[in-house]
Amino acid sequence: MTATTITVNPTTEQVLAEIAAMLADVLADIGPHSAEIAMGTSFNDDLEFESIDMVSLAVLLNARWGERVNFAEFVAGKHLDELIALTVGELVYHVVDGLAVTQASRR
Amino acid sequence: MTFHEVAGLRFHVERLGPSDRPPAATVVLVHGFPADTLATYYFTVAPALAEAGLDVVMYDQRGHGRTTRPDSGYQLERFVEDLPALLDELGIAGPVHLVGNCFGGMVAFGMAVLHPDRVASIFAIESEPATPDWAIQLAPSLHHGRTDPNLEESIASITAEHGSHMGRLALRAARMLRTTSLARDILASELLLDPMEFWQIRCPVFAVYAADSDLVGLADRLPHALPDCRTAVVAEQDHFVLSGAPEQISALILDWLAEQGVAVTLPTTPGLRAAS
Repeated sequence: MTATTITVNPTTEQVLAEIAAMLADVLADIGPHSAEIAMGTSFNDDLEFESIDMVSLAVLLNARWGERVNFAEFVAGKHLDELIALTVGELVYHVVDGLAVTQASRR
Repeated sequence: MTFHEVAGLRFHVERLGPSDRPPAATVVLVHGFPADTLATYYFTVAPALAEAGLDVVMYDQRGHGRTTRPDSGYQLERFVEDLPALLDELGIAGPVHLVGNCFGGMVAFGMAVLHPDRVASIFAIESEPATPDWAIQLAPSLHHGRTDPNLEESIASITAEHGSHMGRLALRAARMLRTTSLARDILASELLLDPMEFWQIRCPVFAVYAADSDLVGLADRLPHALPDCRTAVVAEQDHFVLSGAPEQISALILDWLAEQGVAVTLPTTPGLRAAS
């Protein structure tokens, strides 16, 4: 018998698409089109994020997924520079993990 | 993101609070200048203060962050007067506890002078009341930021030494100084206080300095100049102590507010009780 984890919530691609749309919103004046944002996109190097942009993204994340994603826990212990240095993919995986409904099944 | 129209400008405000009970008190976090924003608080002390039961109000000051950037109107008293107007707009009538970082502390001290009935206490980080001497000493660096002919090289040098994010912040500061009258206005502020006038700041004050900061000498001097002031020094930190030691700063703020009679829930996590 093996315990298997089944994820029934949004796929990585779906979460990436939602976060890309948020990023296009946050960077409305200067930012890239959401289609140009990929898992490897860096907040710092590619999007030239400033800390205030990260606040705007956090607000949108909280509005969309609330405490289920727990962005506060994600940023806890990270300095601003470390946050800015993240990739979009790292955030996507955090969201996917937070939303994942897991259940152990036996086969 | 929440925006409020105050003094003809659109102010960006973020507010955090306890999710499971009414807040014990309101604390307003005031950031520095000329490249600072409310983000400096949002990702450092604000979550811990909200979790401790406080209504935490953060805003981007005029010309900063996502708040409107007017061409002029950057005298200290203009920054100060934004605060009671914003509190009115938010429906916060009673006295609030202020936390001010660097220039934000000067805004807090100015608020205590102009609106003493609206300030319950001040927690100042790497700050002092703004004096004519302060403005005179600041003038050369503001002038340099405004006129530096080698701006690109300067930014490249900051980027090489401190990373691209710091480089962008420096560029943002330079743009602010070049496109507004901030440098000139600060020097023309009417609210600059002679130390002999510090008695006007009557509320309880707790001022924190960093051991490796140029301002650390104030830890000894300020309690002699203000009617009700204590200080503390955080070891192994520089001027950017708020970002460098957020756990210590939030623990000091919570201890200070508890001492002021605010029913905060002090954290039990050992890592959050590391203040010396």
